[in-house]
Amino acid sequence: MKTQKVLHSRMQSVTVLVTLFLLVMGNGVMAGEKIPRLPNGKPDFSGIWQTTSAADYDLEPHSNRKDAPPGPGIVDGNVIPYLPKALEQKKKNFEARATLDPAQRGWTLGVPRAIYYPEPFQIFERAEDLNIVPQFGHSVRTIHTNRTDHPLDPNDWWLGDSRGHWEGDTLVVDVKDFNDKTWLDRAGNFHSDALHVVERWKFIDVNTLEYKATLDDPQVYSRPWTITVLLDRHREKNFQLIEDYRYTLDYEQFYPPKPAQQ
Amino acid sequence: MTFKTRFILGSALLAMAGAALPAFAHHAFSAEFDGDQPVVVKGVVTKLELTNPHSWLYLDVKGPDGKVTNWGFEFGAPFSLKEKGVNKQTFAPGTEITVAGFRAKNGRDFGYAVTTTLSDGRSFKTGGAQDAPADPPAGAAKAN
Repeated sequence: MKTQKVLHSRMQSVTVLVTLFLLVMGNGVMAGEKIPRLPNGKPDFSGIWQTTSAADYDLEPHSNRKDAPPGPGIVDGNVIPYLPKALEQKKKNFEARATLDPAQRGWTLGVPRAIYYPEPFQIFERAEDLNIVPQFGHSVRTIHTNRTDHPLDPNDWWLGDSRGHWEGDTLVVDVKDFNDKTWLDRAGNFHSDALHVVERWKFIDVNTLEYKATLDDPQVYSRPWTITVLLDRHREKNFQLIEDYRYTLDYEQFYPPKPAQQ
Repeated sequence: MTFKTRFILGSALLAMAGAALPAFAHHAFSAEFDGDQPVVVKGVVTKLELTNPHSWLYLDVKGPDGKVTNWGFEFGAPFSLKEKGVNKQTFAPGTEITVAGFRAKNGRDFGYAVTTTLSDGRSFKTGGAQDAPADPPAGAAKAN
């Protein structure tokens, strides 16, 4: 009887501890750690971030190949739920990835690829917006957090149109109005211009962000699917972005202009 | 043989040769299009893509044999189109239009649109390249 009572009491303690742990984890940040915040109290994601994952080589779990290291994948459930016709297209993309991958051609990476592409990106955050500048490619993505909605007369943007709001300490971003010219990785995973992305950004600790994105595209996928990736803060001394505009390289021979041949 | 006949024959041959993908680079008119190859194409819009640096309009064009070919035409940048009153609704899928412009240098099923006209007569200057020939092509007329 006594043993049972002790056991019961121990189990209660464990339950309390587990509950406390879940509460702390649920909040996103370990107890006692102070995350950076803006004057308005919202988490401040400003800084230079980069993934250590091999997600950009292939979002799905993959073994190594000549042009990629292996990776466990970042897709919840491991498999992207392609519609049959889209899966055929994905396979074609994979075979021709060396020439068709937009990133290999130096094009804008798009959303969400710019987040887990293996190069740093910088976030500049204000109360009314966050601006994301990837090192690779010539683009600046603005996430509006000023309670505005998507435009009524949209274009087909390379980066879509991003509108964010805060749910506690999590930034939730709705992105749509894309074009279909970007890929999701260099394995040929793709989307149409009907892509709709919902991102969830939060601190795990002061130097780590958790980035989740749910992708929906009724022309390509049979149901919405989600990726999760961690982003690490660059803390190296004097670390900075260095421009990486691949499509200008072919023209560098002409700059600075040389004197005309006599 | 009129230009139109030649054009229709040509497009039928091209359709047999297989679909072509337009190039998406930012470029001058003369880099991709041929000022000596004016085209006038009538068809039904399948997609208007408002993308920088050039927008693209795609339309299904029916040949004399009933065979449908999907053509692509380069438009100006989205902002310049909006200044002219063009948005997605103007050329919504299913809209019947006539595009007058110039064919791609490589002879594939795409070109540069100078003027796009709706069936109600409304007409828009939809090209954006500064070095494009100024006058809309008049059928077989050779643009000089």
